[in-house]
Amino acid sequence: MSGADWLSYSLQDFVMFGPQVFLRLFVRINQDLWPWQVLAVVAAIGIPVLLLRQGRNARRLAVGLIAVAWAVSGYGFLVGYFGPINWPAVWFGWAFVAQGVLLAAAMFSGGVREAALPSGRFVALWLIVVCGLPWLAVAESGQWQALALFGIAPGTTAAAGALIVAVITGPWRWLYLPLLVLWSLFSAAMFWVLQAWWLLVAPVATLFLVGAGSWLSPRTAQSPD
Amino acid sequence: MANRITRRKFLISSGLAGIALKSPMLFANTSGNAASSPIMRRIPGMDESIPAIGMGTWITFNVGGDTQLVQQRTRVLKTFFDLGGTVVDGSPMYGSAADVMGEALDSLDAHDRIFAATKIWTGDESETRAEAARSSRRWGVERFDLLQVHNLLGWQGHLETLKQMKANGEVRYIGITTSHGRRHREFAQIMERESLDFVQLTYNVLDHEVEDRLLPLAQERGIGVIVNRPFQGGSLFRRFQSEPLPNWAGEVGVSNWAEFFLKYIISHPAVTCAIPATSKVEHMKENMGALYGALPNAGQRQRMADYVRSL
Repeated sequence: MSGADWLSYSLQDFVMFGPQVFLRLFVRINQDLWPWQVLAVVAAIGIPVLLLRQGRNARRLAVGLIAVAWAVSGYGFLVGYFGPINWPAVWFGWAFVAQGVLLAAAMFSGGVREAALPSGRFVALWLIVVCGLPWLAVAESGQWQALALFGIAPGTTAAAGALIVAVITGPWRWLYLPLLVLWSLFSAAMFWVLQAWWLLVAPVATLFLVGAGSWLSPRTAQSPD
Repeated sequence: MANRITRRKFLISSGLAGIALKSPMLFANTSGNAASSPIMRRIPGMDESIPAIGMGTWITFNVGGDTQLVQQRTRVLKTFFDLGGTVVDGSPMYGSAADVMGEALDSLDAHDRIFAATKIWTGDESETRAEAARSSRRWGVERFDLLQVHNLLGWQGHLETLKQMKANGEVRYIGITTSHGRRHREFAQIMERESLDFVQLTYNVLDHEVEDRLLPLAQERGIGVIVNRPFQGGSLFRRFQSEPLPNWAGEVGVSNWAEFFLKYIISHPAVTCAIPATSKVEHMKENMGALYGALPNAGQRQRMADYVRSL
């Protein structure tokens, strides 16, 4: 298709599903996974505890869990559930898996800081994300089964994953950022077309949390690296 | 023996008569009189007619593997068939809609009731047959009644192959599509040069551009016209649903806004079929209401367009 052809399409032409079908994805994946999402909730609560503990292993475990969350939400939700109704979701799904691999590689290659984080602010933001954002899909759909949990739903996972910018160093951070920005723009455009206003909070929050993560990052001088 | 009318019989008969008068569709398929016959349109140059209301599947049938929604869409399709519809239009562009249509047709065992129309949507002009074959498998049909080049994408190569496929009996009719008013000049040139059975384009009570060139050209060239976006992607309902129908709506055979919008379209002499899409059984019933009863004449059509503009 030529450039002129692509320009003749509007944003609406690329969103080939309705809001009801999209929101049902959250309900369906929760029904299919039950009761295993309890593990996702435990991980979401446990990650800040591990991140704030001193010691390489605790932080590695926390970052490792976030890497798994990227991969699971990408392959599970985006490739498995969203892909059949929206082909770009498959690309994003594999990009989420790659993001998980990238984070794991950073963890094993010295790309994760071991310096202490400003605990209060980090924990507060993390808990707001993992406890608050899941309810956006509930508010939009009117069904509590639509909870968009960290590690399962890509929006909540990306938002929490944005905060982890705080502990990623140098070039790894630059490799980690593009997907956060692309996903935020893609999902914001999609929610705009679907007129799913509550869901728009997630991509906006993700971009905000990228900034917050950078702000909460321990200064290099404080780092033992 | 005398057939005595009791008070009970009288009340039941009166009630049924009232329901019938209020809801002509309720009895649409149960009698053979002219008022309840579906409005059929002949495919230009052919001895075949199709119902003037079909259905599209864009957005509405793209529900993925959601069993609950697949069953619900199957009910929508069943309603469509039960009320006299046959023409269903899709595209490989519409995500899982083709698979959902295939499942629904299987569930209803309705492969012989459908006039199956889909599109070729790939920039690779050597992929025409392969994409048609993929779509056949997804829909579960042996061959399509109509294959169209989607939005003129790679149209030269695809159209040549489609002509060969038609000659070989691999497809019955061929055509091209556009929507949202895209590339009308090039569209008209192709209509002038090529041998087409159908064109698909956007036309509704607010989007009139095709009346100037494309619809007259279709009549002149003997090309069937399928109309997409009859409700402007639903925006006509959002804009006018809260407004009253004109008090002369009954004169043009209209009892709701869906019928108003659709009868405006199918009463154009160049139009063969309109393909509204819906995900709701109730809306499908309203849409199919336009397949029955009176149609507006040219003067009434103008009045309909004027009325909508005045709101």
